[in-house]
Amino acid sequence: MTGTNQGFKIATKVLIYALLAVAVFCMLVPYIWMLSSSLKLNKDVFSFPMQWIPANPRWENFQDIWTRIPLGRFIYNTAKLSVIVTLLQLLTSSFAAYAFSKLHFKGKNVLFLGYIATIAIPWQAYMVPQFILMRQLGLNNTHMAIILLQAFSAFGVFLMRQFYQGVPDELCEAARIDGLSEYGIWAKIMLPLSKPALSTLTIFTFVSTWNDFLGPMIYLTRTELKTIQIGLRMFISQYSAEYGLIMAASVVSIIPVVIVFLALQKYFVQGVASSGIKG
Amino acid sequence: MKMNMKKYAGLTFAAVLTMGALAGCGGNNNGNNAADSAATAAPTAASNASASSEPSQEPVTLKWALWDWEATAYYKPLIEAYQKAHPNVTVEFVDLGSTDYMTMLSTQLSGGADLDVLTIKDIPGYSNLVKQNHLEPLKGYMGDNSIDPALYGGTVEQIEVDGEVYALPFRSDFWVVYYNKDLFDKAGVEYPSNDMTIAQYDELARKLTSGSGAEKVYGAHYHTWRSAVQLFGILDGKNTVVDGNYDFLKPTYEQILKEQEDGIVMDYATLKTSSTHYSGVFYNNSVAMMNMGSWFIATQIEKVKSGESQAANWGIVKYPHPEGVEAGTTLGTITSLAVNQKSEHKEAALEFMKFVTGEEGAGVIASTGTIPAIKNDAVISSIASIEGFPADENSKAALTTVKTYLEMPMHEKSADIELILNEAHDNIMTKNATIDEGIKDMNTRVGQLLGN
Amino acid sequence: MQNETVLRPKQAPKRLLSKGVRDHLVAYSFIAPNFIGFAIFTLVPMFFAFVLAFVKWDGSNPMEFIGFDNFTRLIKDTTFHKALWNTIVYTVGVVPFTMAVALALAILLNQKIIARNFMRTVFFFPYVASLVAVAAVWNFIFSPTMGPVNNILHLITGVPIEDLPRWAADKQWAMFTVILFTVWKNMGYYMVIYLAGLQGINPELYEAAELDGANAWRRFRNVTVPQLAPTTFFVLMILVINSFKVYDIFINLFAGADNQLNDSTRVMVYQIYNTAFRSLDYGYASAMAIVLFLLVLGITIVQFRGEKKYGQ
Repeated sequence: MTGTNQGFKIATKVLIYALLAVAVFCMLVPYIWMLSSSLKLNKDVFSFPMQWIPANPRWENFQDIWTRIPLGRFIYNTAKLSVIVTLLQLLTSSFAAYAFSKLHFKGKNVLFLGYIATIAIPWQAYMVPQFILMRQLGLNNTHMAIILLQAFSAFGVFLMRQFYQGVPDELCEAARIDGLSEYGIWAKIMLPLSKPALSTLTIFTFVSTWNDFLGPMIYLTRTELKTIQIGLRMFISQYSAEYGLIMAASVVSIIPVVIVFLALQKYFVQGVASSGIKG
Repeated sequence: MKMNMKKYAGLTFAAVLTMGALAGCGGNNNGNNAADSAATAAPTAASNASASSEPSQEPVTLKWALWDWEATAYYKPLIEAYQKAHPNVTVEFVDLGSTDYMTMLSTQLSGGADLDVLTIKDIPGYSNLVKQNHLEPLKGYMGDNSIDPALYGGTVEQIEVDGEVYALPFRSDFWVVYYNKDLFDKAGVEYPSNDMTIAQYDELARKLTSGSGAEKVYGAHYHTWRSAVQLFGILDGKNTVVDGNYDFLKPTYEQILKEQEDGIVMDYATLKTSSTHYSGVFYNNSVAMMNMGSWFIATQIEKVKSGESQAANWGIVKYPHPEGVEAGTTLGTITSLAVNQKSEHKEAALEFMKFVTGEEGAGVIASTGTIPAIKNDAVISSIASIEGFPADENSKAALTTVKTYLEMPMHEKSADIELILNEAHDNIMTKNATIDEGIKDMNTRVGQLLGN
Repeated sequence: MQNETVLRPKQAPKRLLSKGVRDHLVAYSFIAPNFIGFAIFTLVPMFFAFVLAFVKWDGSNPMEFIGFDNFTRLIKDTTFHKALWNTIVYTVGVVPFTMAVALALAILLNQKIIARNFMRTVFFFPYVASLVAVAAVWNFIFSPTMGPVNNILHLITGVPIEDLPRWAADKQWAMFTVILFTVWKNMGYYMVIYLAGLQGINPELYEAAELDGANAWRRFRNVTVPQLAPTTFFVLMILVINSFKVYDIFINLFAGADNQLNDSTRVMVYQIYNTAFRSLDYGYASAMAIVLFLLVLGITIVQFRGEKKYGQ
């Protein structure tokens, strides 16, 4: 009985690993292609039949991207924006989400619904009024414009609120009886408990700020302020596109994000369960 | 009670904030406009006063909206040449990127950005900026400074709006045929001539097609732009693409789809989805002939030098034309400069525009291998004498044109018309619609648009 | 509980503000930092965009109030209907597909398996990569005559390449292609949300279920699904909203040099963007945005009610 069960388990395991291996391969193919293209001349990037390992790898591509455009400056700008936006987003979102999840006040549901519904309005629809407003405030061509646009999103509040919903209300009640203020509960109980959610929000905010194109495009027209996504598109000009360089710059631009992801990974497996809250 | 008070206070606060901001937007806009018109009035008055005397020596910084700063050879020399002659002027560039440049420019201007000199990329975008009243009318200035529109080979007339002009061209590209001499030699076919009908072009393309797989040579190559295919139909001058009837395009589409079916040219759908760039296939010796704009001359010369283009033995000839139309009739596209109506340095901006679009500017632009809008003999010789330009006489003669039709003519609704045409073109070329269906679609939708 | 009720009347007189007001102030103080920034920089421009729906405006010249004209125009606008329909088809295709794959991946990668961290990173990768680059790769791989996908299909099935789907270039297959691409690109994103959600489930619940003799499927049904309800609600909402707002993916996958989409791939935000910026009809574009907003608001309310019922 246990034997067949064991055999069955092993068979499923093998099957699952095989499936995963295939899936991982499918996920990786585009990156292998990207990497290989980043070592090619532009004209060879899309030539058939494709060469997975370029005959004459052009390592110069990885030098050219730093000299053709101020890529170092762009990476610095993007990193600065991403870090500031992420910190502000984490702080204000988790703060607001606590109220939406654990406190009772008039108009809570309406306000929350309103928050969510605004996520639905495409930015393109209010881009121009927003641009006019920012200009009136004198924020055009400043990094502050991007920070203010990105830092207070309804998305972050929504995400944090959903995770707080999963934390039992009894925990907060108990803390209140122990004499903790609401701020204390937020700081001492909710924040430590929501590490998985916070790291999720960190990654999402970081990635979306890192990859944002249209915002910086409109608000940052001075070269020294521009970000990496604008830089990538500088290799696409009116009559030609240098895909070799685009791919090389893409490879470079992914690295910081992957580092952030790997650094935060361990928190995904460290939630309520491992924080010693067992009632 | 208190709670209600608070709630209402909150609501009122929100309302006040919103209204305030709204009023602020509107109000400030008006304020801006007033301030701007005051500001513009002042320099105009000043310019009138000082027009006869020396130009002002006050330090001025001009902001020039453009795209592809890095990839364009003539921006820097133009600015340097101008600043040398006008030491008080500093020209700063604002690179808005080439994709969606005109949209970006319009957004910046609507937001009140302090741009002075504006590069105009295409006609639909120009038409929009004119409608939005962002551009300074130029007729008066041209009269005062005796700028002769005839210098621009008829392009200025083509961008007139209700008798007024809002931009002057400084760069004027036209379409030619690039061909790969080695592939012609290999096939034992004589090089194309400067007087070739569209039917002869088709015949020649068929002769040059050979091989299969990676070795295949295509006789001709049409890039995925609408202008590369559709506009053969307007070269006889009988129709334009803004009239609302597109039946005349049928023979053109029939010919090109036939070539596609016969494997004379690459498949449109494949080209589009694989982002294949026309330069790559030409460099790789995969196509014998390619119709393309004159902007590719400078790139091809440079890439032959760097070794990226293996099509080192090449030439150009005049664009193929319909039966009964003079050789040298071709398509063109112009890049122009305009001045922001709300610029605070209008006088200096106009002065800079005059330089770039004038003969001096043309000289600078030609020296970088780009075709300026003012195309005199000196300019043509200058381009033909660039190292790497094909040595044969035909290639130099191909640089002269007799009649240039704009890829998109000026029309109040050209932006909307272009959207419809591009879409129908895509449907026909990908065979998602038959030629008749595609043309019918253009006819009805553009008809509706013009009827409105 | 009893203690509290006894204590409350004693404490009340000492306080300057009643407990109700104080609680409200505390709650508002939590919301304020986010809300004030959000209101100024997002809500105000949005409100302004709403007002635009009732005017005719080209972005520069004075506005003209035209009442509901923009909305009545929408009723007859077949191009807009097509865009709306395409968006709905896309959403219906993307949402369930992505949810299922993301949840399966999250559960799988939450187990103790070999190279777990590596695999999580790999599945999250497509979301991180620049869209310009991955769309180019994807199109290349799915290229009709020369791409590897069709060549492999040709080898396996023996169907001539000309008769195989032309994917992104094919009216019939374009939507399928973009749905597949979207799932591929975004499943890692939702997997991360699910992974974080799974950490919130108390392992004792599983232990208890196991003691009761529940098999893997029952444990999934009776523990995982209900415990993940808030996460699922979130994933569903964000997926629906993002699908309705899709723009970049379509542009990068389908639009060529002219940045244009055709009848079979036109989506709502593309239509809004074109109407505003190419046709300079900001008012009409705003009216379209309102339709989009109302649609999503409706779905949100239904979901929200569902969540409440399900969650309690």
